[in-house]
Amino acid sequence: MSPGAWLCLFAPLGGTLAITLAGTRIPRAAAGWISTTSVFIAFGGAVWSFFGLRAHGSGDAHISNAWTWLQSGAFKVGLSVLVDPLSTMMMLIVSGVSALIILYSIGYMHGDDEERRYFAYMSLFVFSMLLLVEGGNLLILLAGWGLVGLSSYLLIGFWHERPSAVAAAKKAFVMNAFGDATMALAFFVIILHAHSLDFTPAFHVHLSGTAMNLVVLGLLGGAAAKSAQVPLHTWLPDAMEGPTPVSALIHAATMVTAGVYLIARTHPLFEQARTVELVAAGMGTLTLLMAGLIALVQTDIKRVIAYSTMSQIGYMFLGAGIGAYANGMFHLMTHAFFKALLFMGAGVVIHALGGEQDIRKMRGIGAHMPKTKWLFLAGSLALVGIVPFGGFFSKDSIISATLNLGWYGWVFWVAALVGTFLTGVYTFRLYFTVFTSEGDAHPHHAAGSEGPWTMMLPVAILGVLAVIGGWIQFSPLWHPLTDWLSPVAATLHVAEPTNTQEYVTSAIAVVVGLAGIGVAWALYGARRRREVPSVPALQRTLEHKFYFDELYDALFYKPSVAVATWWRRDIEEGFVLPAGPDVGETAFDTGRGVGRLQTGLLRTYVFFLGTGMAVLAIVFLLVK
Amino acid sequence: MLGPGIAWYLGVSAFLFGVGALGVLLRRNPLIVLLSLEIMLNGANLALIAFSRHAHNGAGQIFALAVMAVAASEVCVGLGLVVAIHRRNLELDVDRLSELRG
Amino acid sequence: MNLTSVLIWLPIAGALAVWILPLSRYATGSLAVLVSLAEVGIWIEQAIRFDFGHGGLQFEQRARWIPDLHSSYHVGVYGFSLWLVGLTVVAMAACTAYGFWVGRDRPRAYFGLMLFLTGATVGVFVAQDLLLFYAFFEGMLIPLYVLIGVWGGPGRLGATIKLLIYTMTGSLLMLAALIAYGLHGGTFDLVDGTFSASRWIFLGFMFAFSIKAPLFPFHGWLPDAYREAPPEVTAILSGVVAKAGTYGMLRIAIAKFPDPTGYYRTVILVLAAAALVYGSLLAFRAPDLRGVVAYSSLAQSGLIAIGLFSGTNLGFDGAVLQMVAHGLISTTLFLLAGTIERRTTTGEFALLGGMARGRPALATLLMTVGIISLAVPGSASFAGEFLILAGAFQRAWWWAAIGAAAVVLAAMYMLRAISAVLHEARGSLVQDEALDLRTGELALIVPLVAALLFISAWPGGIAHHSFPADSPVLSIGTGFK
Repeated sequence: MSPGAWLCLFAPLGGTLAITLAGTRIPRAAAGWISTTSVFIAFGGAVWSFFGLRAHGSGDAHISNAWTWLQSGAFKVGLSVLVDPLSTMMMLIVSGVSALIILYSIGYMHGDDEERRYFAYMSLFVFSMLLLVEGGNLLILLAGWGLVGLSSYLLIGFWHERPSAVAAAKKAFVMNAFGDATMALAFFVIILHAHSLDFTPAFHVHLSGTAMNLVVLGLLGGAAAKSAQVPLHTWLPDAMEGPTPVSALIHAATMVTAGVYLIARTHPLFEQARTVELVAAGMGTLTLLMAGLIALVQTDIKRVIAYSTMSQIGYMFLGAGIGAYANGMFHLMTHAFFKALLFMGAGVVIHALGGEQDIRKMRGIGAHMPKTKWLFLAGSLALVGIVPFGGFFSKDSIISATLNLGWYGWVFWVAALVGTFLTGVYTFRLYFTVFTSEGDAHPHHAAGSEGPWTMMLPVAILGVLAVIGGWIQFSPLWHPLTDWLSPVAATLHVAEPTNTQEYVTSAIAVVVGLAGIGVAWALYGARRRREVPSVPALQRTLEHKFYFDELYDALFYKPSVAVATWWRRDIEEGFVLPAGPDVGETAFDTGRGVGRLQTGLLRTYVFFLGTGMAVLAIVFLLVK
Repeated sequence: MLGPGIAWYLGVSAFLFGVGALGVLLRRNPLIVLLSLEIMLNGANLALIAFSRHAHNGAGQIFALAVMAVAASEVCVGLGLVVAIHRRNLELDVDRLSELRG
Repeated sequence: MNLTSVLIWLPIAGALAVWILPLSRYATGSLAVLVSLAEVGIWIEQAIRFDFGHGGLQFEQRARWIPDLHSSYHVGVYGFSLWLVGLTVVAMAACTAYGFWVGRDRPRAYFGLMLFLTGATVGVFVAQDLLLFYAFFEGMLIPLYVLIGVWGGPGRLGATIKLLIYTMTGSLLMLAALIAYGLHGGTFDLVDGTFSASRWIFLGFMFAFSIKAPLFPFHGWLPDAYREAPPEVTAILSGVVAKAGTYGMLRIAIAKFPDPTGYYRTVILVLAAAALVYGSLLAFRAPDLRGVVAYSSLAQSGLIAIGLFSGTNLGFDGAVLQMVAHGLISTTLFLLAGTIERRTTTGEFALLGGMARGRPALATLLMTVGIISLAVPGSASFAGEFLILAGAFQRAWWWAAIGAAAVVLAAMYMLRAISAVLHEARGSLVQDEALDLRTGELALIVPLVAALLFISAWPGGIAHHSFPADSPVLSIGTGFK
């Protein structure tokens, strides 16, 4: 199983290197196929590892070390990969979904001048993400973590002639760098006490309550930044500047789920700081509500789906935060399927309309693109969580898991159900506006296929997965996924709902979801549409995304610029830079001053001669 | 011991030295400065000889002879400089002759 | 033949040859580049034959020099000095090749000075006798003054004078300190010499090294010198000469003065942290590429000093690794800045932009080095910073917190610089005809980047092999025995 893991990790890196070194010697499309093939090979490696582990028994995790990456005294970090139930699950999801999306990109990015660069970056991203999930110790995980942030920067800013894209890329990177920094600080504490960052010693480190809280808080900071949870979420909507497949891959299926993976992986530490773990759950809840609200007013198709992602990851954080790790990971998997599907479906529409992203201008396209429409519908139903689509199985198990926690469990439960309602509204607002309304939009290319096969096939595959992906687990009745993950991420006892709680919650959730769809139909889908209720202050707040951007600008960016400018003006140019010449000038002036003793007049010299001798004589006499 | 006490000789010597010093410091003509310098030297000589006589030690008188030799050679050099300056039609005024300055 | 001495005197002999023989421009340049490459080869040989398991000086040579003062010609390498010598020869080879590629006036003078600089700098890192160290330290400065003053930009004279005043002040204080140390201890030898508890002598040395590194607030010479010097000389200043300052802190100040180090530790850590934050913030608002990299160098010197003065194993290993990594990074960045300036006559951000289009090699290399420079996790500089901050954390948590904040700042300023040059709209001075990097330029930049990537893949190679038994604290405490 380890060779499979190494193959999985390095195949995409090989793809990147091949494309970079070949440069302009290969045709653009070839770069796409190299990249796709490398990631399919990675998927093969993941499958190999998975079956290998299954044969061994999932309790037997295996760490394989290539060489010692860094060592200083007793502290040693190896370049190692870990094959265990959690990592193989992630490897399969990441490499599988990535392969489909990169295949899709071949059609989507066809004709772009810089296709080779794009595919090199995509392969680099897949390598980074796999490094993150396969990392056998915390430092390699952090290396993958940072490289994922780097790839995200490179891909968001892919069309670098656009200032908005460049700005969005920088914003994403800096916020992620902040998360990296908090994680690094947490690691320093662990190193101080455990002298190692390998998983086993790190998770068994003995720390005081405060220290453990701080460590876990640091980890949570990194997770929140990477997964775009409040308050570190402002980079995600801007990240939509990147090409649509990038949004599908990075900002829906893989990178933003890394935070959930981190919590599941380091759960022994989180469980020792239960308060902070519940803070994570609270963050997730807050995010799922806020993002759901903001999505209601967005007019860019990609931004609606982006906020939806933010909201769904909130569910995953909620699940992981309360201790239902398997449920969180399950939702991660189904979400990867249907969210990628939604993004890619949106991409088909955008591609057909020659780059248009405003949903108000897309009305009427549904009549021309039936396949996309049905696939998008499947994805939307999965997202809202209507039985028997994927999201039903995964999301509802998270919601029901909150019921045994006490008073805050109830708060989470209610909020999550409200979130489901909002999901129904904004998702179907999108669906009805784009695909069922009457309008003038029609595709730019000739009637016939809705898109090249490289685009439609992956979308279709994901459509199937969005429908059946959830059937792998229905907690009361059959739960192979939870069993698979239990050796490494056992669900906490408080987060295990009873069967009754499961059934009741699921029923309520479906009803609430359908209610949301109903409201959306009334406002956006029906022939005689009702007026959308208008509350200007609320509308403005939602459109400004609760003013977080303005807040961060005032708290961080402007003060940094102000301090830097102040220091440059007053300290650097006022004091430090002139200091050297000032010393020189002082030397000059002193010299000139002393030089005035040389008057050129005879009598001055005689006077000094005489006086000096007299003084010396007196001194000699006194000393004698 | 014949004659006035040593204090009188030293007084005259100091008087001569003082006059000479004032002349060196205050007069402008280099010839007068040299003259005043001579007076200072003579004052010093007088003090040397007076002490020599007082202490019955000949060393003072011999040293006075040495001083006279030095005075003579220095006057030669000085007068040579004055003549050279005069030949160039420069003013014989030490305040004006001050190019060697900082 | 002692390899260490060859490494010192071969380039100096080359310099003499270049100055004396009336060779043509092409022959002079080729000779200089060949000698530089030979240096690299000899260093590789030395590295292969070095025994990392054995403490103590290797490739040692000791000869009579000034017996009356108990000062001898004593040279040799330890693990960490081996890496610094390697950095020197590689960086000088790249910069000499750059000068050859670009073509400088008065080639014989220029190449002679570059070769002399190579030899003197290697001498600084291997000298084990204080008078010898001082001689090489000053010998390193003279070519720099001339190189900046003759081949520099429009403000070169002012920059040279500033550099002169600052470094002279430091050097004179160091001279006084080393004389006091040598006369008091009876010998000028670093290996035989004993520890000293004198705070004044320690301060004398530290002052000189803080000016060289530089540390806040002694960095007044840095912006002008870095902007006015020719790009390859700035690369040397930032990549190699600055490391001589931090090397001196390690080899002399910390190693020979344990008590004063402990006494002044907090003050120095504060100054180093100030350099880190101050440099990062000023880099964030610098209006030109050279300014950003210059202030970034100031910040990195502060970080390395934090590593050295944290007094922990992790800190020392990290500091040595960071010295090498940052040396390569800033050399590459300044050479790239030079290539950009040649194409557009400027480094000002307001006049640049959009250079990535049509210039994939330049864009890829600048982006790669820029990203390694901001210590993206997985890179060599990340490994160095992580070790340094982990070590600093063991001293007190706030040093690591400040360091972590500076990492975020580094992301901000470096990305701003990269985008200002490569991205967005075409700048007013960027012409369509400005070429991508050509073969000659690639030949000297790609090996540097490859070296950086190699170190990124295996930072343990340097960090784990700098001190015997990989316990720097113990090894320094026993005087490197």
